[in-house]
Amino acid sequence: MLARARTPHPRAEEVAVQGAPPPLTHDEVARRMAERAARRLQGMDDEAVRAYLAEAVYLERRRFATSKPSELTEGDRAEQKVIERAARAVHRDRPAQERAVLDLAEHYAREVHNPFSPRTYDFATRVLPGALTRLLTATRPRELLGRGPDPSDRIQVQGPTELLAKLARTHTLVLAPTHVSNLDSPLIGYALYASGLPPVIYGAGLNLFSNPFMAPFMSRLGAYTVDRRKKHRVYKDVLKDYSTDAIGRGAHSLFFPGGTRSRSGRIERRVKKGLLGTAILAWQEGLAEARPRPEILVVPCTLSFALVLEAETLIEDSLAEEGRSRYIITDDEFSEARTVASFASRVLNLDASVVVRFGRPLDLVGNPVDDEGRSLGPDGEPIDRRRYVTDRDGRVEWDAQRDRVYTAVLSEALVRAWHRDNVVLATHAAGLAAWSLLRVRHPDIDPYQLVFAGTDERTVPRADLLRAVEATVVAIERLAAAGALHDGLPAGPSPAARAEAVLAQALDRFSRFHKRRALEPAPGGAIRVEPRLALYYGNRLDGYEVDEAPLEAHLRGVLRRAIREAGA
Amino acid sequence: MNVGIIGTGAWGRALATLVAEAGHQPRIGYRRRSPRGFPGTPNLAMLAEDSDLLIVAVPAGAVREVVEKARPGPGSRVVIATRGIEPESGRWLSSVVLAHAAARRVGALAGPALASEVVERRPGALVVASPYEEVRRLAQAALHSSICRVYTSEDLRGVELAGAAVNVLSAVVGMADALRLGVGVRGVIVTRGLAEIARLGDALGADPATFAGLAGMGDLVGCGCHPDHPSYQAGGHLARAESGDPELARKAEALLSLAARHEVELPLLGAMARIARGELKPRLAIDMLMRRSAKSERR
Repeated sequence: MLARARTPHPRAEEVAVQGAPPPLTHDEVARRMAERAARRLQGMDDEAVRAYLAEAVYLERRRFATSKPSELTEGDRAEQKVIERAARAVHRDRPAQERAVLDLAEHYAREVHNPFSPRTYDFATRVLPGALTRLLTATRPRELLGRGPDPSDRIQVQGPTELLAKLARTHTLVLAPTHVSNLDSPLIGYALYASGLPPVIYGAGLNLFSNPFMAPFMSRLGAYTVDRRKKHRVYKDVLKDYSTDAIGRGAHSLFFPGGTRSRSGRIERRVKKGLLGTAILAWQEGLAEARPRPEILVVPCTLSFALVLEAETLIEDSLAEEGRSRYIITDDEFSEARTVASFASRVLNLDASVVVRFGRPLDLVGNPVDDEGRSLGPDGEPIDRRRYVTDRDGRVEWDAQRDRVYTAVLSEALVRAWHRDNVVLATHAAGLAAWSLLRVRHPDIDPYQLVFAGTDERTVPRADLLRAVEATVVAIERLAAAGALHDGLPAGPSPAARAEAVLAQALDRFSRFHKRRALEPAPGGAIRVEPRLALYYGNRLDGYEVDEAPLEAHLRGVLRRAIREAGA
Repeated sequence: MNVGIIGTGAWGRALATLVAEAGHQPRIGYRRRSPRGFPGTPNLAMLAEDSDLLIVAVPAGAVREVVEKARPGPGSRVVIATRGIEPESGRWLSSVVLAHAAARRVGALAGPALASEVVERRPGALVVASPYEEVRRLAQAALHSSICRVYTSEDLRGVELAGAAVNVLSAVVGMADALRLGVGVRGVIVTRGLAEIARLGDALGADPATFAGLAGMGDLVGCGCHPDHPSYQAGGHLARAESGDPELARKAEALLSLAARHEVELPLLGAMARIARGELKPRLAIDMLMRRSAKSERR
């Protein structure tokens, strides 16, 4: 059974106790980041310091020079001055270069930082449900000012939320969700709030701060600013330092370890380790300084959307010539206020259209933990996890190389957890079924060509599609019984009955939003498949195996047999 | 440095000799009989706890059992000195450690060193592979001396795969020698056998160069072609016997199923598996291999 979100509006004092640490001013943050930058410089030789600074100067000047004036923000113009000062220092002595690096670090620290306090959070949590409700129920942007039903009817929150709330009082939590849509962060914000969990801080792209729908959520929910146009190490190090510092001060944090929204619709299989790696550093700093609350846990989290607002843009980008896929998409469905509003009203406003599922926490090398937050070994017995980073006498043994491998191990554990916690919805099952069916019907067409198939090729008999959906339902039931994923499909007395319900629900969902529909009825009782979108939604089931074969290959085998038997 | 070695066989004692030669105190953990010549303990858990480096040198099928007894924890560094794959599960031995103990810092040791030659202090070399720089450094310090050079590698997967493959290819060489096929064939088995393993390694993310290194070419040419090597002897028996060799079949099949998952063809090991299962006569297998289509050496 799917549990509904509780809505225990936590009182302000409670939030203040278990929530974020006291906010820092911009000056304090700038000083702390400069101190960290200075420590980093100590470990570099003269040539490395010069190269470190020169790279920042070169890449930023090039960015300024190649941007249209309209693309440059006020922040860019302020930064330009600092960069020009730094440019002069590149050719001077080491102390001058170091001063320039610290200048830059301070500048970026102020840019990144967003003073976030329990008080503003309290404000945000009171404002948020209303704002989110309006987002989810508005039919026109103007109606965002109106009042609507409670979003808890719409968004299901699953997982051990009471355990997480308890652990959040004694541990710093790092929330690590799959990244599907730009709506992920407000939805997670809502899910945290609705389950009585403390707020998190997180890095958000500049474009979201200027998006009229997102801006109110961003700063209020603890977002700090990440400018992905800046690609040099000085800036990236400030981001990492900022995260290390915040986690170390006990701020629960949110990372999207996939780095960017999944283009293909797949659950991420590779994880960017830079930000995730700040957690293990913060932990060791906490141990070394004997801080009162040094322990950090990672909470896997999955978001399942029946329909994804940006699906069409994302899958096109995924199918675009390999290697040319864009890391930053600024012109997707999200940039149109009206599109977001219509999506919200037509899709999120439906029952069971979004599931946020929190997983059981992991320690920083990927071990599960018990209800007290103690790490568990493979035999289920508690282990002393500090020994991963300390010697027998409890002294921290600093080793950045080891920590990178630990973070890679954690990433693998996260990917496994995401697959386990994935909640499969009707659109995912129907998408995979339709895609597998197309492949069986056109064995001679290469999958890369199949995505561009013509109308005739992509129209299928309803009975065949139903058979494919049923095979998918059976496979999902088996996977769910084995604990490999969560079955969020409509209920029914038999796989055949469930298949009918899945197809009906998927057809209904698909009809609600996309310009092109993954599945739609065609004349003569047939179903027309849009291969790209079917692939996008079906990809949510990539990475699972049935009888030691990838799920899609397994389905194709079942379908080939079924079609042969039906023909015989 | 405290170095613990689990395993009282010839290889365990040879490693203890190397550790002593490198100027450290080895302690041997044993399950049944206390070893001669070195301090020993039956308490594997205490040995794991007290050691800066724990070396496991028991047969592949016993690794899981000793790991469950020793329970190397979060502070442990474990190096597997046994070549091969766990017979029942087909898993890498380092993965067996990770699955049955809380230790994360693991590595593998391989290369052309025969136990009988090490104890006679004849010169040799080994390679220790681990993703952890710390493990590579510790194992090198623990074993490197004037009688044994110890090289390091980051390619844990490649070194483990090479070790597992040498075990089977050595049997192929032993079989070919027993059939008196000549020295040319031996060269073919060594190079083409390692070429197909390198293709599998490539698919698994290993470094193809590893297979031309100590754990691959070095071990196969040096030890795998030696009449004392147990796999070489098993291959010889197979050539003469009427029935198969289930253990050898299992070793080959573990690699073949891995290859099948990654869609890599292993003609030589495939033939060996069928011979070891008793399905194919060696002479016929050679004929089939020789009749395969002509190919480029590189691909």
